[in-house]
Amino acid sequence: MLRALPVRTRRRTAVLAAAVLAGVLVVVLVTAWPGGGSGNTTTVDGNPSAVLYTAGHRPLAPGFTGTTLTGSQLSSSSYRGHVVVLNFWGSWCVPCREEATTLAAVAGRYRPAGVSFLGVDVRDTTASAQAFVNQFHVGYPSVGDASSVITADFSDVVPIAGTPTTLVIDRTGHIAGAVFGTVTYSDLTAILAKVTAKGG
Amino acid sequence: MTDVRAPESDPFDPAAERDDPPRPGPGSPGGGAFGLADWLKWAWRQLTSMRIALILLFLLAVGTVPGSILPQQGADPAAVQQYYVSHPGLAPWLNRLGLFNVFAAPWFAAIYLLLFASLIGCVVPRTFRLAGSTRSLPPRAPRNLSRLPRSAEYVTTLPPAAAAAVAAKVLSGHGFRLRRPAAGEDAGATGETGPGNGHWVSAEKGYLREAGNLLFHLALLGLLVSVALGGLFGYKADRLLVQGQTFADTTSALDEFHPGRFVTGADLARFTMTLNQFTASYISTGQQRGQPSAFDARVTYTEQPGGPARTGHLAVNRPLSVDGAKVYLIGHGYAPVFKVTDARGQVVYDQATPFVAGATGNFLSEGVVKVPDAQPDQLGFTGVFVPTAANVGGTLESVFPAADNPVVSLIGYAGNLGENAGPAQSVYELDTAGMKRLTASPQALAPGQSLKLPGDRGTITFTGYVPWVSLAITHDPGQLPALICGMAALGGLLLSFMVRRRRVFVRARASQPGAGENGTTVQVGGLARTDASGSFEAEFAALAAELKSAHEQAAPGEPAVSPQPEGE
Repeated sequence: MLRALPVRTRRRTAVLAAAVLAGVLVVVLVTAWPGGGSGNTTTVDGNPSAVLYTAGHRPLAPGFTGTTLTGSQLSSSSYRGHVVVLNFWGSWCVPCREEATTLAAVAGRYRPAGVSFLGVDVRDTTASAQAFVNQFHVGYPSVGDASSVITADFSDVVPIAGTPTTLVIDRTGHIAGAVFGTVTYSDLTAILAKVTAKGG
Repeated sequence: MTDVRAPESDPFDPAAERDDPPRPGPGSPGGGAFGLADWLKWAWRQLTSMRIALILLFLLAVGTVPGSILPQQGADPAAVQQYYVSHPGLAPWLNRLGLFNVFAAPWFAAIYLLLFASLIGCVVPRTFRLAGSTRSLPPRAPRNLSRLPRSAEYVTTLPPAAAAAVAAKVLSGHGFRLRRPAAGEDAGATGETGPGNGHWVSAEKGYLREAGNLLFHLALLGLLVSVALGGLFGYKADRLLVQGQTFADTTSALDEFHPGRFVTGADLARFTMTLNQFTASYISTGQQRGQPSAFDARVTYTEQPGGPARTGHLAVNRPLSVDGAKVYLIGHGYAPVFKVTDARGQVVYDQATPFVAGATGNFLSEGVVKVPDAQPDQLGFTGVFVPTAANVGGTLESVFPAADNPVVSLIGYAGNLGENAGPAQSVYELDTAGMKRLTASPQALAPGQSLKLPGDRGTITFTGYVPWVSLAITHDPGQLPALICGMAALGGLLLSFMVRRRRVFVRARASQPGAGENGTTVQVGGLARTDASGSFEAEFAALAAELKSAHEQAAPGEPAVSPQPEGE
């Protein structure tokens, strides 16, 4: 493609070659660099799927209204001033079944501390969701989100890849902690201990 | 990649030949040590050679072959799993070579980036050379024009200077770049003797050829960049949407999401879309009976959260552009609606369940109903949806794809769905390992009919059906640049094939004594570089004729142009 160059352009070619190789190197480094890695979160017990947002970097939780599985209207604004555990789930979601008893246990333990639990029932139907609630004796309400509109609003501020995802919202309505995937008793209680603590 | 340059001696590029240094190679004798710098130069020269570029292009093409033969992680992860099961020895090795994810494999990136570097290394010096050649003047006219491939000669009564001026005017009128003798270059200065030897015109045309060639290479480079752009910043997602349902374009609402390297769920277009109605029309008579004639999906969408609701239509190959993404209609099917009541009389399932058409035709569709929260045992059903059912020799068959006589055939199971732990399951498959079959033979239900499950386990009712569509949501920022680059590449290629670099020279000499008092011999010569089509012969003949007639017109009476050569 390139015939041997005149002598006067050989130096230029060498410079160009170096520039191109450097460019290729940059592209390779950039594409190979691991993504993510923001300084706004710390992990709980070194588990990267359970995080605490550092004070001052807590994203504001979007407000929402919806219909609960029992047909009543629910607005997120009525939870202001409370620590809220918001669990995104679906009756079709296998890991949600695994964590259902854990959530019920943590909800029972933190009820005296004034922590409210609220479910967001994603891509589900009322009949199936209500059967799930009966099966696992879920004692807290869930807002139906068949269209994922509420989930989408939250996805703008925290990376919700799917269900289950559990967010802990502090008294000021900011997201203080998150568990991406199945919650464990120790992770969720560790986050709640921090958030419910004075000044948390 | 097409190098239209003449491989060896090139009369149009004498500079390149003159300055051509001997190519050093690892085996080149003499010159002492072949240092690192020389190795690098040698490697660079090899990389930017056309041969290597062609090999790389070929490798790129070959590299995509395993991607179409072997299942790919990105496109069909289930098929990859299946391959592991059926080829337990081979699969791990193929995986080590990245053959289950070819386009993300390091070796594929290596080919890609090397081709990239090769193209850059080819195009950049070429651009400089073209820039240089557009600044430089055509060469001086050779002394003897009759030696050129094309030549003509005639006599005019114009004096040589005027004849040259007329010729210059004609040639520049045809878009040739001209060179006239400089002031000191007139007779004698160049060793040419004889009166009026300095009256010549040198004209060149067809620089667009190299420009086209360059455009082609640049466009190819642009094409690679565009594809990379799409791969890095684009995404592709799938979503099955039942009529009446709404979905927001967010990761958890998508069935499949294949983001580019720099794309996360936060980069998705933030639209919501509702499928209001889907209609599929089929040809009902004749040879084409059962063939689809039209699909139409009527949707309502908002481009931004809380934005105004708009309505739109989706059809095959007629995507809807929403907030920078394109939504394609890629499939459809039937979703029978089932209502399941368990042993305690609770409604534990009430929803449209998408069934997928099999290969048998006429939309005979299969699906699965899972009722994990039924009491006392979990329930599961495998079903077949028959849009237009007919009893053919004792078995249900679908005779038409439209739902003219819909029937569902179900086999019920009770037990453990295997869902309370373990990996996520496909919604289209029922793991019956821990389940007991409830009925010996499939039970057929028409809309509205119920099936009482044996052992007082409850009932399942086939309440009706709705259509579903499957949507592909794509965002490819490289699409438009790729189209533009593709067209530019084609244009460049055409230019470099169709435009010939050609030169025409005119020399006007005072005729030999005795030929006439004012006689001037005009010699016209021409040569084209590659002239496979032979059209330069015709062009030259026309030019020579035009020059001759211009000279004849200018010759009688007053000269049409100033006899003085126009200033250089």
